Amino acid sequence: MRRMGTIVRREYLERVRSKAFLVSTFLGPILVAGFMLLPSILMERQRGKALRIAVVDATGTLRDGVEQELRRQRVAGESRFAVMPAEGADAEAARSAARRGVVDGRLDGYLYLAPDALATSKAEYFGKNVSNVMDLRLVEQSAESAIMQHRLAQEGLDGARVKAVTRKLDLRTVRLTAGGEREDRGATFILALMLLTLLYMTVPMWGAAIMNGVIEEKSNRVVEVIVSSIPTSYLFAGKLLGVGGAGLTQVLVWVLTMAGVGAYGTAATGGVAMPELSPLLLVSFVVFFLLGYFLYGSLYAGVGSAVNTQQEAQSLALPVMMPLVLGFVFFPAVLGSPDSAFSVTLSLIPFFTPMLMFLRITAVTPPAWQIALSVGLTLATVMAMTWAASRIYRVGILMYGKRPTFPEMLRWIKESGG
Amino acid sequence: MSDEAIRLSGVTKAFSGHLAVQDLSLSVPRGAAFGLLGPNGAGKTTTLRMIMNVLGPDSGTIEILGAPATQETRDRIGYMPEERGLYPRMVLEEQLIFFAELKGVARKEAARRLQPWLERLGLVDWRHRKLNELSKGMQQKAQFIATVLHEPDILILDEPLSGLDPVGVNVMRDVFVDLRRQGKTVVLSSHQMETVERLCDAIALINRGRKVLDGPVSEVKGRHGKNTLVLSYEGDGSFLAGLPGVLKVNDFGRYVEIKMAEGTDPQAILKEAAARIRVSRFEVVEPSLHDIFVEQVTAAGAAAA
Repeated sequence: MRRMGTIVRREYLERVRSKAFLVSTFLGPILVAGFMLLPSILMERQRGKALRIAVVDATGTLRDGVEQELRRQRVAGESRFAVMPAEGADAEAARSAARRGVVDGRLDGYLYLAPDALATSKAEYFGKNVSNVMDLRLVEQSAESAIMQHRLAQEGLDGARVKAVTRKLDLRTVRLTAGGEREDRGATFILALMLLTLLYMTVPMWGAAIMNGVIEEKSNRVVEVIVSSIPTSYLFAGKLLGVGGAGLTQVLVWVLTMAGVGAYGTAATGGVAMPELSPLLLVSFVVFFLLGYFLYGSLYAGVGSAVNTQQEAQSLALPVMMPLVLGFVFFPAVLGSPDSAFSVTLSLIPFFTPMLMFLRITAVTPPAWQIALSVGLTLATVMAMTWAASRIYRVGILMYGKRPTFPEMLRWIKESGG
Repeated sequence: MSDEAIRLSGVTKAFSGHLAVQDLSLSVPRGAAFGLLGPNGAGKTTTLRMIMNVLGPDSGTIEILGAPATQETRDRIGYMPEERGLYPRMVLEEQLIFFAELKGVARKEAARRLQPWLERLGLVDWRHRKLNELSKGMQQKAQFIATVLHEPDILILDEPLSGLDPVGVNVMRDVFVDLRRQGKTVVLSSHQMETVERLCDAIALINRGRKVLDGPVSEVKGRHGKNTLVLSYEGDGSFLAGLPGVLKVNDFGRYVEIKMAEGTDPQAILKEAAARIRVSRFEVVEPSLHDIFVEQVTAAGAAAA
């Protein structure tokens, strides 16, 4: 057992020290955090700098209403628009004054309401920047609302009352669990999708790392000295654990960064938009990463054992990827009804468990026995696969030249004396 | 305790229908320097791999130090494979300690033992370098340290001198002599007869997977008799080949080597030669291992053809 520890130690240290590992582990989350935080940081920069807007009204009746509406528009608690005067003898003069203002930089833009604006429901906005969609939408709403109020008044109706009567519904969605209720506006879904994507990225990546390690050891002929020193099953278990430890280190760094960014983000944005990272979710992410890694790692190790070069490995690695791809196909169905017999069955099949059981956990809380059963089944599969892989390895070690067929590999598994 | 370091009894190994080793029995005495000889493809490497459990024999038994070969007994062996194998991107020092640990030596102890070896083989300045930054000869020496660092009783070296420059060969030869003085058993495979003749006191010659002959070097030579004459002369020696009892004459320019049939009296040849040419040197010599090797292998080839 101590010798297995030697293998674990080497595999872990060699991988953790590599440049590729350092870059992806520490640069990765910085990038992710950047993408997560940058928009809100930029938004914050924008805040306080209200857009200077003038209203040029050729109808002669709408200006007050529109200006009032514009002043009412708030983003993150602050007025979005500073309404500037647009003076002139008539509308044409006011318009050319506003145009000069925009060109000189005194104004960010102006809204032009043509004489027939009330009849045609048409308005024009002239500005330095016309791609700030969010702001333009607010301008549009303001004008629309003012025109609407005016028309209602003409019909003899009270605008304020109509507004109160036709008020929009605000649907609040609450996720109900045994632990209590929590308001959730789809953030959990997005988070689950993110974590699932992360699983899909990391599991094959670290699985392939095992495969390449096995191939490299064979092509460097280190293997002869090693198999004469320790049993192959120890070598394999040691490799899986050592490389897995490196993978776990990376995933933990990422998860903790995400938790940190999430907490900071929540604080920065005043508690909106940021999905809640529950400890349960993070723990199950780590657990299912490990399960997925060990399962697919042992499969990849088997592939690595059977071939001599990475080119040969490509074609054999494809069938290994199939369950992963299938899992992705089933993903919408499982998310749609996480407790259906179909979803439960799929999530109990070891090759799908790491992805689909994790998905179910993010959506609902499956019964404990289902989680335990899925973990147990996957672990049993991992052990069987590791055993088979080490058998293939034992025979494949000194095979030069041709790649074995699947029937040949099965025979090796049966015949190999360990 | 057994006097035998390694014993093979009736070992056979086939690869997809082709017999690599057939019914091979060998005995390596404890403390001996044992040479496993044979042409390329004779089965030397396969035999050594079976001793190290890299390959399993199809039939036959292998004993190490008087006990059936197991993980524990194999820990007493240091094995240097023909195809050298170290991790190219691993730092030399860590790598050598790693291999000693795999053989059951504690880390600290391995580190302590490493220092003198690095000094002796001139690798001290390279200890923190990655292996692929070392020259081929240095890598070879590193491989040797990996083989001996766990202080095995038996060394199995597959073609130990290939790839070394003459200085390296000398250093390694000194190390061999030293290890033997410490009572270690050394088994080496080679097709370089001169090396084996100088270093080994017992040999086995295998060809096409079968043992052709084995025993102490002196005995093997004795068995092949003193059937070779060396003759230097002036004049026309072309008649020599036609003398009774002469099987073959190899002309080396400055002298000729004459193979005699068994029971031939060298004096008769000398008398005949002295009568017709000026003989300046006449000597009855032992056959070299090289000669025995070539003779046996070509005889086997002729028999097979």
